[in-house]
Amino acid sequence: MINAVMALGLNFITGVANQFSLGSAGFIALGAYTSAVLMKECFHQWYFIPISALIGATVSGAAGYLVSIPSFRLKGDYLAIVTMGFAEIVRVLFLNWDFVGGARGYNAIVRWPQFSLSYIATGLFLTLAFIILYHLKISAFGRNLWAINEDEIAAEVMGTPVSKNKRTAFMISSFFSGLAGAMYAHNLGYISPGSFGFLMTVNVLIISVLGGLGSMTGSIIASAILTALPELLRSLPTGDTDIRMIVFPILLVSMMIFRPQGLFGRKEFWELKIK
Amino acid sequence: MSPNKILKINNLNLSFGGIKAVSDVSFDVHENELLGLIGPNGAGKTTVFNIISGFYSADSGEILFSGTNISKLKPDAINKAGIARTFQNIRLFSQLTVLDNVQLALQQKTKIRWFDCIFRTRSYLQYEQNLKSESLELLKIFNLDQFSTDLASSLSYGFQRKLEIVRALATKPKLLILDEPAAGMNQTETDDLKKLILFIKKNFNLTVLLIEHDMKFVMSICERIVVLNRGQKIADNIPENIKNDATVIEAYLGKRSYVTNH
Repeated sequence: MINAVMALGLNFITGVANQFSLGSAGFIALGAYTSAVLMKECFHQWYFIPISALIGATVSGAAGYLVSIPSFRLKGDYLAIVTMGFAEIVRVLFLNWDFVGGARGYNAIVRWPQFSLSYIATGLFLTLAFIILYHLKISAFGRNLWAINEDEIAAEVMGTPVSKNKRTAFMISSFFSGLAGAMYAHNLGYISPGSFGFLMTVNVLIISVLGGLGSMTGSIIASAILTALPELLRSLPTGDTDIRMIVFPILLVSMMIFRPQGLFGRKEFWELKIK
Repeated sequence: MSPNKILKINNLNLSFGGIKAVSDVSFDVHENELLGLIGPNGAGKTTVFNIISGFYSADSGEILFSGTNISKLKPDAINKAGIARTFQNIRLFSQLTVLDNVQLALQQKTKIRWFDCIFRTRSYLQYEQNLKSESLELLKIFNLDQFSTDLASSLSYGFQRKLEIVRALATKPKLLILDEPAAGMNQTETDDLKKLILFIKKNFNLTVLLIEHDMKFVMSICERIVVLNRGQKIADNIPENIKNDATVIEAYLGKRSYVTNH
């Protein structure tokens, strides 16, 4: 479910607005660390977690906005490189900052007292993220983003404030990445810079692409599949070689061959026509 | 009495590296006029268009639109000022529906209300409803409403051109700039286009600036013609005089002696 929130965040900027970002992990880390530190230093009590998570998300969103100002002068691959660079900066920053544990990681973060509670809270946040992002997607703002996705020049000529909209979309996207990060921190109780590496971004990206860029329900379902699948594949026979490590990539590759637009393409679950 | 000048272009200059794409071009567009801008390939017509619509900024010179200087504005601000344009190669949002294409253009006049967007309040739904009916009405005028739920890319070439013009109209411009609208059209389609342009000019109270290659088309429709060659203005007159203008003929066909030698 946390993966789903992360993927929703990325899907909004990459899927709807077609701005290829590889900085997810950076924003997730920002949200996670902010919320973790806040809980440990100020709030202490577990019932403040939602507030602290929202503050973490806001910090991440603000960072997203700041990053977007210089980086949206670039497009496509270059934008991807800049956002990736940002994620690395964030990671290295936390790695060398002793206050948050440096490479040892930050532990004894306030956690939900019960597992079920964390489950409910994450579910609520996921619902919130989904409703907001889906409504934005089908709103007038979403239409602007689709236009930017299709043809920036034409959108600009039609009077769409292209760079302003892109910055806002990036901010919204990093807000939800940060929110997911905070959830992650309070579920695990321990975070370290190592877990917010490039691999995390790639994971989130795979979910978005598999679910269909621009499909919010697609992201949710794909994250469920991609989280459950490696676990299910554990039941495959293991010998000297771990077969599941071969089967999983094969599934991904065949998915890309037979359905390159992702599970749902741009459509939502209920918009699919059953043939 | 001199007519009201809606667009004034003064001493425009632009070079790309060592090439002077536009050099010292000045002309005016009068209110409610249909002005044609013609010239041989590479004469700088599209460059002038791109400067007007804000994609290039000129090295020097200024553009006054209804008396205000717009030469430093960005494309979206220029659109808000009241200039809409179409493209030589059609640029529709091809994966969006016909209706969305128009709605997108129409909605730029209103501000995005975040709270309403996220919570889909009643007033927001009302706003979307109005936007939809207004767009449909506009499409209906041009007999495109039957395609409203189709993807823009599924339309035929002629309809795509038409839709692009409708989309430009949806931004409620005072000046409409058409970049080679007749490109790639056959005779019937060109005739339809001619009717369309005259129709919108009359019914939407517009000034139209037209770039075109098709001489017959330009001569039959434009009230006045500006001719560019190698980045310079070489003529500015009514169509009859342009046809007989020695410099224009030379620009298009070459010098007489050169022609007879072959």
